[in-house]
Amino acid sequence: MPQLDTSTWSITILSMIITLFLVFQLKVSKYYFPEDPKPTLVATPKPVTPWEKKWTKIYFPLLLPL
Amino acid sequence: MNENLFSSFITPVMMGLPIVIVIVMFPSIMFPSPNRLINNRLISIQQWLVQLTSKQMLAIHNQKGQTWALMLMSLILFIGSTNLLGLLPHSFTPTTQLSLNLGMAIPLWAGTVITGFRYKTKASLAHFLPRGTPLPLIPMLIIIETISLFIQPMALAVRLTANITAGHLLIHLIGGATLALMNISAATAMVTFMILILLTILEFAVALIQAYVFTLLVSLYLHDNT
Repeated sequence: MPQLDTSTWSITILSMIITLFLVFQLKVSKYYFPEDPKPTLVATPKPVTPWEKKWTKIYFPLLLPL
Repeated sequence: MNENLFSSFITPVMMGLPIVIVIVMFPSIMFPSPNRLINNRLISIQQWLVQLTSKQMLAIHNQKGQTWALMLMSLILFIGSTNLLGLLPHSFTPTTQLSLNLGMAIPLWAGTVITGFRYKTKASLAHFLPRGTPLPLIPMLIIIETISLFIQPMALAVRLTANITAGHLLIHLIGGATLALMNISAATAMVTFMILILLTILEFAVALIQAYVFTLLVSLYLHDNT
């Protein structure tokens, strides 16, 4: 039975170790499974506008001295 | 006749160069590496299959056992693809070689046993003595359990070798019989041809099943030991 000829055993086992533990694992480790997407808030928060704290007369267009 | 039948199992050497290295590494070409954010259809299908298989297979393991996910997935891909490619005519199937299967089975089994010894020493030693055994039977039972532990890697390797080799031999023999019968009686040749078709379908199933069984048993040994 040719499988019991031990002269070729070392090269077969060596090539299997390279393939299984190096090549295949490098390929499978690059598989990327995306995570569950989280729902984001559509409504945007109120923007911080410090210039609205003080309302000045110039914002009324009809009162502009033109 | 005998030499011809087993000649497909000789490790291929071409002009002194061991091309068995190329043949063992060939199935990895069938699985391209994903390099992009959105990959092509082949890679996406393979990735989906790997995800399906890994969810099924790693469900029984705890955190410690799930670190073996990469190993188990590449194992099932390697054995499955090698077995399926071996069904092509005139191809060499590396998993028919006892050397390769022993080289896979012994380190993986030893890894699971050593993991069990390191992290759960008492529990892994306790596997040797089932509960509620009568006192006089204890020495004999420990011997039996030790033998059954050490036979696990041998059984893994020989099971895979024997199944794939026997399938290939049957295909050779029945194919040869069909050819020889064609000149004698066409009807009998049709019958043997039907048998050949059924056998080939069986061999496709066996190729995948053997990969699954090997990986499942390794994961079972892992489960015992984590």
